[in-house]
Amino acid sequence: MRALRIAASLTLFAALAGAGIALAESPAIGSAAPDFQLTSVDGKAFSLADAAKSHKATVVMFIATKCPYSNAYNDRMKKMAEEYAARGVQFVGINSNSTESVEDAVAHAKKHGHTFTIVKDPGNKVADLYDARRTPEVFVVDKDGKLVYHGRIDENYEDATKVTSPDLKNALDALLAGQPVAKAETKAFGCTIKRA
Amino acid sequence: MTRIRTTPPRAAAAALLLFTLAVSGRAADATLLKGELDGKELSAAIAKQKGHVVLVNFWATWCVPCREEFPDFVRLEKAYRDRGLRVIGVSTDLAKDLPKVEKFLAAAPPDFPNYRKKSGGDDQDFIESVDAKWGGELPFTVLYGKDGRKVRVLSGKQSYEDLEKVISPLLRSGP
Repeated sequence: MRALRIAASLTLFAALAGAGIALAESPAIGSAAPDFQLTSVDGKAFSLADAAKSHKATVVMFIATKCPYSNAYNDRMKKMAEEYAARGVQFVGINSNSTESVEDAVAHAKKHGHTFTIVKDPGNKVADLYDARRTPEVFVVDKDGKLVYHGRIDENYEDATKVTSPDLKNALDALLAGQPVAKAETKAFGCTIKRA
Repeated sequence: MTRIRTTPPRAAAAALLLFTLAVSGRAADATLLKGELDGKELSAAIAKQKGHVVLVNFWATWCVPCREEFPDFVRLEKAYRDRGLRVIGVSTDLAKDLPKVEKFLAAAPPDFPNYRKKSGGDDQDFIESVDAKWGGELPFTVLYGKDGRKVRVLSGKQSYEDLEKVISPLLRSGP
C-alpha cells in the first residue's frame, strides 16, 4: 500500500480552495488502497494496512453525525458490522467533517449502538486521499490491500425493507466467496463532507 | 366633516389576497415547483436555454449547506439575468417531502424555475446523466456555456463571490 500522501492532500486542498472546484479521482478499483493511520475516538491507533492484513476485508465508511442520509443508515451499518465481523470483515467509520468533534462522534456512536471502530480524520486528509465527497460513502479493501468496491451501502436510503440493490452486501459476499465484485462502483445522493 | 370609511377586516383580507395573486400571478395553493424531471428531461430544459449561460443547482431541503447557499443563487440570477444568466434549480427531495420543498421555496420564492427529480429509478442513473464524475454529494452545481456545453462542475457550497468569478468570463465569452 502507498503511504499517506500528505503532499497530494495539500495539492488537492489547494485545488478545493479556489473557485470552481475541480473534481479529483478516487483510487481506481483494483489499485492499492492508500494506507492511513488515525486514532480512534476511544484512543486506539488504527492502521488500514494492519487491518487489511488481519481481515478478509475491511470496510471504510465515511460517515457523519448530522447528515440525514448517513443517519438513515445507522441501523444498517450496525447490523452489517456485527454480521460480517463473524465472517472476518472489519468495519471502520471515518468522520472527516470539520464541523463534527470527537465528542460528537462518541455520543453518536453510543446513541446508535455502533461498536465498530470509529476514527476522526483531522483536516480531512484521508477524505482527500480517497477523494471521498459525501456521507455515507464506502470503500472496501481486500486482504491484499486492494480496493474492490467504492460507493453506496444500497440504493434506498429511505426504507431498508425496500432495498433492491444491496450493493455493499453483494460486494462483501462476492469477496468472501472468492468471486469478483460484479458492481464495483455505485453512486447515491449524500451530504457533502464538510472540509476544513 | 370628513367621514372615514373603515374596511371590514374580511374584505381587507380578500382585497389583499387578490392583490397578492395579481402581483405574484399564482394562486395561494399553487405549487412553486415547475414540475418533475428525469435526466433526459433536464438535458432538454438546459438545451432550451442555448445562447445563455445556464447554471443548474442540485439541492435538497435536508441539506443544510444547500439551504444556506440557495439565497445566493436567487441573488445571482437577479444580478446577472440581463447579462444572459439562466438558473435552474433541481430538488432531489423524496416525494414525501414535497410539502417541505414547497415551504422552503415559499419562504423566499426564486425568480428561476425549480423542479424535483422524478421519483423512481436508480439515483445513480440520474447522477451519472448529469456528470460522470459526480458522486451524488449535495449541493452540486453545473455550469453550461452559451453553446450548451457543460463547462464547470462545482462540488459543495460555493460563496457568492466564487460563483461570480466562475460565471463572469462565461457571460463575456461569445457568441
